[in-house]
Amino acid sequence: MIGVGDFKANDCNGLSRRSFLKTAAAVPFAMGAGLPSLLDVQAAQERGRAKSVILLWLWGGPSHIDTFDPKPDAPMDYRGPFGTIPTKIPGVHFTEMLPRLAQRNDKFSLIRSMVTTDGGHPGAGTIGVTGFKESPTVHPNFGSIIAKHRGNSGALPPFFYLGRGIPRDLPRRIEGYGGGTLGKAYDPFLVSCSQHGDVNIPTLKMLDGITPNRIQDRKKLLDQLDAAHRTLDGARIDDWEKTHQAAYGLLTDPKAKDAFDLTREKEKTRESYGQTAFGQSCLLARRLAQVGVPYIQVNWSEYVETFTPNGDWGWDTHIYNFELLQDRHCPILDRAFSALLDDLYDRGMMEDTLVVAMGEFGRTPKISKRAAREHHQHCYFSIWAGAGVQPGRTIGESDARAERPLTEPISPLMAGTTIAELCGVGAQQRAEMKVLDGGSVINELL
Amino acid sequence: MVALGMILPFLHDFALAEPKRLTEDGILKRDPYFVDGGKGLIYGYDEQDDLVRVLRLDLETGKSEPFVPDVGDKHHIEPKLSPDGRFMSVTECTGNLTAKLVIRNLEERKDVYITHSGRGGTRSPVFTPDSKRVVYAFAETGPQQLWSVQVDGKEKKQLTQCEGVSNWPSFTPDGKRIVFSNSRENNYEIYSMSADGTDEKRLTENTIMDIRPVVSPDGSQIAFTSTRDGGYNVYVMKIDGTNVRALTAGLDRDDYPAWHPDGRHVVIVSEKGGRFDLYLHEMPPGAVNPDGKPLADTGS
Repeated sequence: MIGVGDFKANDCNGLSRRSFLKTAAAVPFAMGAGLPSLLDVQAAQERGRAKSVILLWLWGGPSHIDTFDPKPDAPMDYRGPFGTIPTKIPGVHFTEMLPRLAQRNDKFSLIRSMVTTDGGHPGAGTIGVTGFKESPTVHPNFGSIIAKHRGNSGALPPFFYLGRGIPRDLPRRIEGYGGGTLGKAYDPFLVSCSQHGDVNIPTLKMLDGITPNRIQDRKKLLDQLDAAHRTLDGARIDDWEKTHQAAYGLLTDPKAKDAFDLTREKEKTRESYGQTAFGQSCLLARRLAQVGVPYIQVNWSEYVETFTPNGDWGWDTHIYNFELLQDRHCPILDRAFSALLDDLYDRGMMEDTLVVAMGEFGRTPKISKRAAREHHQHCYFSIWAGAGVQPGRTIGESDARAERPLTEPISPLMAGTTIAELCGVGAQQRAEMKVLDGGSVINELL
Repeated sequence: MVALGMILPFLHDFALAEPKRLTEDGILKRDPYFVDGGKGLIYGYDEQDDLVRVLRLDLETGKSEPFVPDVGDKHHIEPKLSPDGRFMSVTECTGNLTAKLVIRNLEERKDVYITHSGRGGTRSPVFTPDSKRVVYAFAETGPQQLWSVQVDGKEKKQLTQCEGVSNWPSFTPDGKRIVFSNSRENNYEIYSMSADGTDEKRLTENTIMDIRPVVSPDGSQIAFTSTRDGGYNVYVMKIDGTNVRALTAGLDRDDYPAWHPDGRHVVIVSEKGGRFDLYLHEMPPGAVNPDGKPLADTGS
């Protein structure tokens, strides 16, 4: 089923290369706009094998100590109630709520030494997807950088957000959700996917009355779009132009329409992801990657808050941390993420699809007086797979209480730089776009 | 550590009959609880991506209806009905990161909100067998403890004073003992104690979670969820913690066991093919394998 706005309808149809790169990537602007060296170009080409990126954005700050970085020997007021289980990689343990991922960590690499510099959701969220603080300049989302580099993939926009809305907390949305200094042209295109796999395009609500069933005739669609256009005031014209193009492309291009139709998947495949909004969104992300969309960000939730009226169960577990991780979040993530990895491997897509899972920060290892965990920007995790990432590695180490990294901290800017590098946006291109200034590649992944 | 893949294959067909599927929508569910002598089943249900509400399933007609009407935008979880049928309780999301225990006098249509200072949330309310009090879990100033309060909201008192996280209280039918889980031993284990919090006994011992213990109507058995064989599965053991038997097996999740009042059936939320539905399992009269031989104790 595909829906537009409120409408739904059935749709039938020595100086090693690595060390050199690290140096080069770290100082792209020091190199200025000078000509890149041959080594730089070759390395960037070799690394730029990611045709698509799927970012699983675990919004709200997942507890690292209760998931991928357990500390069973920590004091009781730190370690939490969960047991640990061995994984495919000897010596590496996850908590007992992630049995499927524990059996697949030979397919991905885990970073346990992520650090960010903001302890609030919108601020850390912006840093998490742009590499920089929200002010004074809002930098572009990693996806916007890739979108500018790649351009549209046929009728489909180059940068998708899959989720209910732009990530936010109760007071406001994050600033770094879109194009930033690159412009609104590189904002993500928002699509939501329900637990049943119904796809909706909320940004097209202005086109009330237009449904996939009524757009078999392109001329009719154009007429309807033009009619809707005339109802807009000036301030919305710019948005309209972008939306108009996207709407036309999405609703008339068979390839684009097919990409949104999850009913074309085998039932077993759909089931493997789980009947949850996140699970079906992960499946939709794979389908979009399959048709060449460069960057797809799957948002776990719109709101960070895990238990609040109208909240959609983010990872911000100030209350019910242990209950919700075991009852809801971890089982859903374990199933959907595992299915995505299996699916990409089975289809031979892992070679050129980069999958990253992370949130904006972790949670306090010391259990709060409410038997939960608060924000913790000093140590958290990220997970990487595909597109040249060496699988099975555990990178970085946290201290005995998971409070701080014992190893070199890895920042969101480094994550973004690595994503860009793997997508072929090398130091030279980054310098030309004036993005990810000062970022370095996480060489341990490669 | 428990190695994955240690699933005992012979346990898969342990139940005497194929479980009966009670719902078919596949939507995420939680907290089933039998009401009206087993004629109805209440449970939490993801009505929308941003709203969990409680439904009552009529097991005779198969029809469902909201159990708590007019919920607005507030999540409701963990519903219970008092044994005398006069009160219901539910955990209600009353604000940002805040949840309160609500006890409703069904005759007087009067709600009592059980409050504690600051943000936080009550967990796992259960009525005492005499329907006079509700026991629940809450963390007020440190480790999560069990609390008890009268159904009129008065005489709130803390029952436990132990380290770790305490949760999921369940009474024996005579009301003399409470079975619950606590994490002080590095993971959730199941314990039993007198209703006044004394005379504690440990019933399980392993390195993996044993959660949501529920005492059978005759007081002889405990159904609970554990990850001891890899995934979330439901087990049954004697009230003293011996003779552990698996009701389900495999990585697909089976959770939230609830006894039917007849003591011969347990309803479980099972994830099959990524879809969550309620399944009614028939309990075998004794611990036997499908071949008729006594089932070995799988350990506690």
